[in-house]
Parts: sequence; C-alpha cells; structure tokens
Amino acid sequence: MEIKENKKDAVLLLELKGRLDASTSPKFQKKILSVIEGGEKNLVIDFSDLDYISSAGLRVLLLGAKKLQSVDGKIVLACLADHVKEVFDIAGFSVIFPFYDATEDAIKSFE
Amino acid sequence: MKNSSIAYKMILYILSCALLILILIMWYNYSSSRQTMFRELKSNAGNLTSSIVNRIETVLQAVQKVPLNVAYELNNFEFTKEELIVLVKGMVANNSEIYGATIAFEPYGFDPKQLYFSPYYCMKDDTLSFTYIGCEDYEYFYSDWYQIPKILGRPIWSEPYFDVGAGNIVMSTYSVPFYRTVNGERKFAGIVTADISLSWLQELIASMKIYETGYGVVITKNATIVSHPDDTLIMNHSVFSLAEQIGDTNLHNVGKAMIKGEAVFVPYKSIYTGKKFWQYIMPIPSNGWSVAVLFPEKELLADVRKLTKKLLIIGFVGIILLFLMVNLISHSIAKPLTSLAKAAQKIAKGDLNAKLPPIKSSDEIGQLTDSFVYLENELKKYIINLKETTAAKERIESELKIAHDIQMGILPKIFPPFPDRPEFDIFAIIEPAKEVGGDLYDFFFVDDNNICFTIGDVSGKGIPASLFMAVTKTLIKATTAMGMTPDQVLYKVNNELCQENENMMFSTLFYAILNLITGEVLYANAGHNIPYYISRDGELRFLEKTQGMALGVIENVRFETKKTTLRKNDSLFLYTDGVNEAMDINYNEFSMERLTKTLKPLYNESPIEIINKVIEEINTFAAGVDQSDDITILVLKYFKGSRD
Repeated sequence: MEIKENKKDAVLLLELKGRLDASTSPKFQKKILSVIEGGEKNLVIDFSDLDYISSAGLRVLLLGAKKLQSVDGKIVLACLADHVKEVFDIAGFSVIFPFYDATEDAIKSFE
Repeated sequence: MKNSSIAYKMILYILSCALLILILIMWYNYSSSRQTMFRELKSNAGNLTSSIVNRIETVLQAVQKVPLNVAYELNNFEFTKEELIVLVKGMVANNSEIYGATIAFEPYGFDPKQLYFSPYYCMKDDTLSFTYIGCEDYEYFYSDWYQIPKILGRPIWSEPYFDVGAGNIVMSTYSVPFYRTVNGERKFAGIVTADISLSWLQELIASMKIYETGYGVVITKNATIVSHPDDTLIMNHSVFSLAEQIGDTNLHNVGKAMIKGEAVFVPYKSIYTGKKFWQYIMPIPSNGWSVAVLFPEKELLADVRKLTKKLLIIGFVGIILLFLMVNLISHSIAKPLTSLAKAAQKIAKGDLNAKLPPIKSSDEIGQLTDSFVYLENELKKYIINLKETTAAKERIESELKIAHDIQMGILPKIFPPFPDRPEFDIFAIIEPAKEVGGDLYDFFFVDDNNICFTIGDVSGKGIPASLFMAVTKTLIKATTAMGMTPDQVLYKVNNELCQENENMMFSTLFYAILNLITGEVLYANAGHNIPYYISRDGELRFLEKTQGMALGVIENVRFETKKTTLRKNDSLFLYTDGVNEAMDINYNEFSMERLTKTLKPLYNESPIEIINKVIEEINTFAAGVDQSDDITILVLKYFKGSRD
C-alpha cells in the first residue's frame, strides 16, 4: 500500500493506494499517528485508489479519530468505492466518519 | 598443485618480461657495439692501409728518382762507355732498394758498330755483378720494359716478372726513356732502368699483423697478384683468373674494385672459404697497383661477441636468480593463501574453530589473514546470536501456537453438541488463517428451551485480536446469563469493551436467541454481516437489518432487537467476512454473489452439508491461495418438535 501526503492549508490530505488490510495497516497506523503527533488536526483521507479495507484498517481509522477527538480534530473520508463504503456500513461506522464523494468537498468541509 | 597458479603466473610474466628486456639489451648492445666497432675499424683500417701504401710509395719514389736522374744526365751530357758503366754501377751500389740497373741504348745507338749496348749491374749474393745484356737470344729492345716506355715516351713501372737469372726473384722494373738531341732534333736514345725485387714488398705486407688471420694483398694494374700470404699465387694468378678457378664471383668483384684505383672499404665474403672479411682497398699512386687489407669479420667482432656472451651469461644468471626470487615470493604469497583457502572452506562447512595460519607479517597477506580471523570471530558471534534469536523466535512461535490453540479451545468443538435435543441441529466451523485471528462463534443454552448462538469477528489479527475475542466471548456468555434481551446484552458488552480500549480494538457480533418451542428468534447485531435465512422451500434472504455498531468503539451505543420465526426445516446461515472476502490469486473476492449462488440449492441439506459445500466452493475458488482471514460459519437448522 502507498500513502501520499499532501498539505492543503490547514488540511492534511492522505491518499491511499492499494489494499489496507492486516499486513498494511501497521504502516498506515504509524503514518496517521505521526501526523497527529505532528500537530495535524484536519485529516482528509482519499480512498480513490484504495481497493480494499479490512477490519484492521477500520481500527486504525477509529484510532485516528479517537486521538483527534481529544484535540478537537477529525477525520473526513472521501471518494470511497461502493464495496469499501459497505464495510463501514456493515460495521456501523458510517455514523462516526463524514463521507464525501469529492476530495475538494472533503477539504472544504473544514472551512 | 593448487597454489601453482599465482606462482606460475608470476614466474611466467616476470621472467618473460625480464627475458624480453635482456634480449632487447643484448640486441641493442650487440648492434651498437658492432657499429662502433666498424666505425673504428674503418678509420683504423684506412690508417693502416694508407700507411702501408705510403711506405710502398716511399720506396717506389726513392727508386724512381735514380733512373730519372740518370736519364736527365743522359739527356744533357755525353758519357763514355766507362763513365756509363760507373754510372750504372753507382745506381745499384748506392741504392739498397735497387736490385739491378742498366742503361740500354737503341740498336747501334751508342756505338754504330755495336747492335747491343746495355751494361747491367745487379746484386747477386751481396756482391755486385756486371754483365752486358743483349745477344741474339735476347734482343732487349723488343722487351716490354724497353718498348712500352719508348712508345709511351714516359717512364713506367713494368709488370712484375720472374728474373730467372737473378734466382727466382719477383722483380719490377722502372724504365725511363732518355733522348739525344741530334741536329737540333730530340731523338729517342734508350732506356734507363732500375729493377727492384718485390721480396721486400712481400716482407712488408707479411710483417703487418692484422688480427689472427687477416692479411694484405697487392695486385698490379692488370690484377696480377704480387703479394699474398699464399706464395703459390704470386705471379701465377691474377685476381680474375683466381676468381674464375675457384668460382668466386665475389672475388671477381673485389678485383674490379681494386683495378678501379679508388680507395674503398667494402665487405667481402669468400665463396671459396665461406669466410667473411672487411677489406680496405687503396691504390699505390706511383705504379697504379692496389693494396687490399682484409680484416676477418669474426675476429673483428670477437670482442663484441665476447662481451655479448658475458652479458648473456650475466643475464641468464640474473634470470635464474629472478626465477628463484619470484618463486620464493610467489610461494610465500600462495602458501598462506592456500592455507587460508583451506581454512575458509572449513569455515564454510561450519567449522568456526578452523585454525587459521598464524599472522607473520603486516603485509596484505597478513591483513587478509587478520580479516579472516575477524570474519571467523564475527561469524561465531553471529551464529551464537542467530541461535539465540532463533530460539526466541521459536519460543514466540510456540507461544503463539499455544495462544491459537487456547483460542480455538474456548470455542465449542464437539458436534453434535446436544445429541439429546431433536428440535434443532447446529454445526459450526472455523478455518483459521495462518496468523492467529479474531473470529469467534458460540452457542449455549440460556435455559431449557432457549439456545443462544452468536458469531463475531475481532478487528485485526494476532495475540491482541485473540485476547479481545476471548474477552468478548466471555462477556457475552456472562451477560446472557442475566436474562436480558439481545440489544441489552450487546449494550452492556459494548460498554464493558469500551473501557480502557486505547487501541480501538473492536468486534463485530451477531447475537441471537432461539426459542426451541416456538421457533421464534430474537436477534441483535453489532456491525456484523447479516445472516442468511434459508427457507425450507428454497427461498434465500437476509434477516432484517438492525441498528447497531461494532462493539468496543463508542460507549452507550443503542442496539435494536428484532424478531423472526423459524419454521420447521428452516435454517440460519451465520458467517464472517472471511467467507465473502476469501480471495483468489488476483485478489478477486469470493463475494456475496457467489455465496448466495452457492447457498441457493442447499436448502434441503443439513448444517454440516451446507458448511462443507460452502467451504468446498471457497477452496475451489481460492485455488490454493493462502487464506488471509479466518473463515467462520455457523448454521442452525430448526426442526421444531423432531427431525423427520
């Protein structure tokens, strides 16, 4: 899995590419925790190129969201493929994260 | 020999280089000394030859003067017979070089009554002897020595000849014509001669020391040999006749060069003897004869050759020394290398205590040996380390295996679990992935008529997932015992799991209780895949969704209990996402579509049959690709009163 980092004003855009499963989520966890520790509060995660997410990936997102909660930040998800969104729906996590169909909208949501 | 390659190469390269250098030096030395030698030879030979020529010339000129003076006097003065005899006597007596002399008059030229008048003195056995030459047998005025100068009107040296009367001495005669003026007319009157023996010439030439076998040769204008170390040739041969006789064209060319009257320095190889010479040819000005001095090339070059030979010997001794040195050095390099190589092979085979050759010097070999010692020690350390690490890893792996076994052990594994209950059949399977996963299922009687069954999936893998799973399972069972509705159970378990869940582990869970009398199923769902309802008449559908979220994420989340009623022979199919997300080699998922299609014809089958069939389909689909997630299925079939 590849993670591309892009800073847009007060928002940090993380673009994921590949599969976010039990074997790749430690890398994603390391990344997300380090940017949060680095002071980032507003995270947009672009799922355009993400093919798959497992429960391990969901856990990292929840962990990120929880960490940001304490500093008044949040994670916004963008461009989820249907089968990826479904994973959130089944687990009942759709209520935890805001979803956007376009990355720009996700970024604008912080304004 | 293994170590011969370095030694062999060094010896080969160094020695061939040295040999090449030696040969070049030899060649250069030989050719340059040869050149120097020839340069010196040429000037020395020139000096030598011209000194010989000068000496001959001096003699000849001294001799020439005598008849010239006499002729001068005869030209200008009248002499009596007695006076003439005294004059002739004086010529011989006063000049040691002159062997004989005469004043030969024209027929009847001195005395009209006398046909011949030619008083002759010569030295015979160191005493002067007198005679008149001219008789019927020897009409001297027809001789060459008389005729040629008379005709030419100038003095001339005769060709050499044997003077039989004087004792086989080779002679040459200088003839000077003299004249009388009669009635104002200058008229030829006769010839004054001086004979010289050529033995002094031969002695002179013979006295020259020209190396061992060098020699001098004198020839006349007509190429007649007058001086030669081989006496038999003298006067008997001209250079040309000799050349012809022995078939030596080179000699013929030498003859040509000699009678040309030029001074030259030329090589000459005798075809007859095969000997090579360098010869200096120089003319004698007085009589136009020619002197050739022959220098034998072999002797000329003897010094050069000797020097070259000595150099060669020194060179070869040097090369042998070099060979020994190179051999020594290369073996001193190769030997430790060979023992190093042997030690390295031992090390490679695992003998880390292989003895390395002692470090004797700090040169490259010493450094290499040092590196090997270092390598061996590091390898030892590494192996020890590796052994420890491997042991640790094996311990962890075994502990993981134990954890896995414990995890699996807490799931009910005996089927049929309730052989004395004919109202239902239940079968479950968990196909664990390689790594310890977090799937769970469970079923147990709440009371005599109600059976609780559940399936869940903990996020992630490994020990944390399996611990979380164990905790969840335990909480579910404990909480169920409190006699609450499914949504209440999940609410309570969720809040318990949310405590101290720093890592945001979570578990999806489907929870249901079946009343075995009525077939009524109360269920609640915490973010888990909704089970299939397999109707006895072949209808296949999902249970109705309920509100909820995976357990352990957010406290006080509300769950919802829904109800469905199983008819006799209806089944519920509970599964984890390991089923629909099972993948083939191209990351294609087994998918809900394939699962639905697989389940559709199985409505008449028993739970174990249904599960086996689904597993079989998944295995066919995955085609040997390693499972990435646990695959867990639980099927419950309701028979109401009894199975028939």
